[in-house]
Amino acid sequence: MPASAKLNPLNFAIGGLILAGIAVGVLVVLMNDPSGDGGNRLPDAFDYSLEEYQKIDPALVKYRQTAEIPLEMQEPRGVAAGIDDKIYVVGKDGLAVFDPQGTEVKTVRLEGETQCVAVAGKDHSVPGRIYLGMKDHIQALDTVDGPAISWESLGEKANLTSLAVAEQDVFAADAGNRIVWRYDASGKLLGRIGGKDEARNIRGFVIPSPYFETAAAPDGLLRVVNPGAHKIEAFTFDGHLELSWGQRGLDVAAFCGCCNPAAMAILPDGRFVTGEKGIPRVKVYDAEGKFECVVVGPDVLAPNFSATTETREDMRLKPVDVAVDSKSRIIVLDPNAGKVRIFEKK
Amino acid sequence: MTETSCKLDRRSFVGIALRVAGAAGIGGLAAALAVRRGQSGELAWQLDPHKCVSCGNCATYCVLDESAVKCVHSFPMCGYCDLCTGYFQPSPIELKTGAENQLCPTGAIRRQFIEDPYFEYTIDKELCIGCGKCVKGCNAFGNGSLYLQVQHDRCKNCNECAIAVSCPSQAFSRVPAKDAYLLKIRETKA
Repeated sequence: MPASAKLNPLNFAIGGLILAGIAVGVLVVLMNDPSGDGGNRLPDAFDYSLEEYQKIDPALVKYRQTAEIPLEMQEPRGVAAGIDDKIYVVGKDGLAVFDPQGTEVKTVRLEGETQCVAVAGKDHSVPGRIYLGMKDHIQALDTVDGPAISWESLGEKANLTSLAVAEQDVFAADAGNRIVWRYDASGKLLGRIGGKDEARNIRGFVIPSPYFETAAAPDGLLRVVNPGAHKIEAFTFDGHLELSWGQRGLDVAAFCGCCNPAAMAILPDGRFVTGEKGIPRVKVYDAEGKFECVVVGPDVLAPNFSATTETREDMRLKPVDVAVDSKSRIIVLDPNAGKVRIFEKK
Repeated sequence: MTETSCKLDRRSFVGIALRVAGAAGIGGLAAALAVRRGQSGELAWQLDPHKCVSCGNCATYCVLDESAVKCVHSFPMCGYCDLCTGYFQPSPIELKTGAENQLCPTGAIRRQFIEDPYFEYTIDKELCIGCGKCVKGCNAFGNGSLYLQVQHDRCKNCNECAIAVSCPSQAFSRVPAKDAYLLKIRETKA
């Protein structure tokens, strides 16, 4: 072997150093993650997940979905059940009516953006009349495709998010003014309910976001959601606060997040159906407000659980709306899936 | 000097003409670029809160030890909630300011009573690292009034922003420096 090819200690050391340098270089390149594929490298304390709170014990789910109605309207916002259990859905561009089996009866385009809907029952002074909540006023339709009668505007600040109909009265929940307006069936304003009034021990409605619900109960009291207080409050039609129930928390029996429930309906026997935002779940409470069961949970309403922590406005989950029909079926408007889901007791 | 040595032959003339035209062209291009630069002004990096997914990369990919991205608060959009889900843990023990109840790992949000039942929340920029955890909490239940922005008193305006490269939602872009903040306006507040 020639002398130049001999591996002396110096050459060995130099070769080793070169190899070590290459190894370090490769390691540095591999550890560097300019594209962010490796995640944010923050400790676990910086993670935010609601996954563990979305799990619901299957034994608590006592309803099953029996039908669904695909919707073709833009931005479906509200659902109601009317006489003969017809289903009324309003969205950005119109009103769609379906029979109880989900067959489309009629779809009409409406002037202006409708935010909520209620349909008068047989006991109302104008049975079957459709009341539409626009941003600042109510429109009354005696037939689906009939002319709309616009009631007086409630002003620029008004933001009507829910309507309720009793025998002689119509109520409009106004998230902008944080009160419920009371009308007669002709559109005459009779009063306002729920404004802060210490003399009557009324704390006032706390409405951080525009989800403010009301419904007329069979016991003759008006129920109004006070979302920031996580309570459902009962008022006489004259505005006296009679009682309230509800508690905050992520527990399935409570109302989650900053402000819930975002939707409410009352079953013919006086029990309550609530819909929550944040962790989308629909639940049933008895007439005194005791939790009974779950109708549907996040596994159906938010199958991709990470959607509940989505921060992009156009990707965030929109809250559900709920209604009930005379057969105690629970009708859930799922705007994220673009469909109405109908549930019946198992 | 003889007459022939002063004469400019055709080859020399074309060569000089090309050099003059080239110099004029380069000068013109430089002038045009200068004018254009003057029109567009300086640019700065900013993130679009409508595209941001609060992934946390802003906290760790900035070349600065303490990120130039911080949380900001849109007060017109805020609900001033007692139970602020950007401030409190998803399931707080109680609605008090104890660290065990707070969502922010660095304690960068201040809670102040305004009037029953409303509270105001402000960001302590010295403590905020731009992780976006509160942004997720606020969006999960609330109005999305907390969001992230590049703070231009800190940003070095690197030619290639390391956060922009790592951003999974392409929320970063260069914006005119004179309008360097992309602020959220009142969107969902009642």
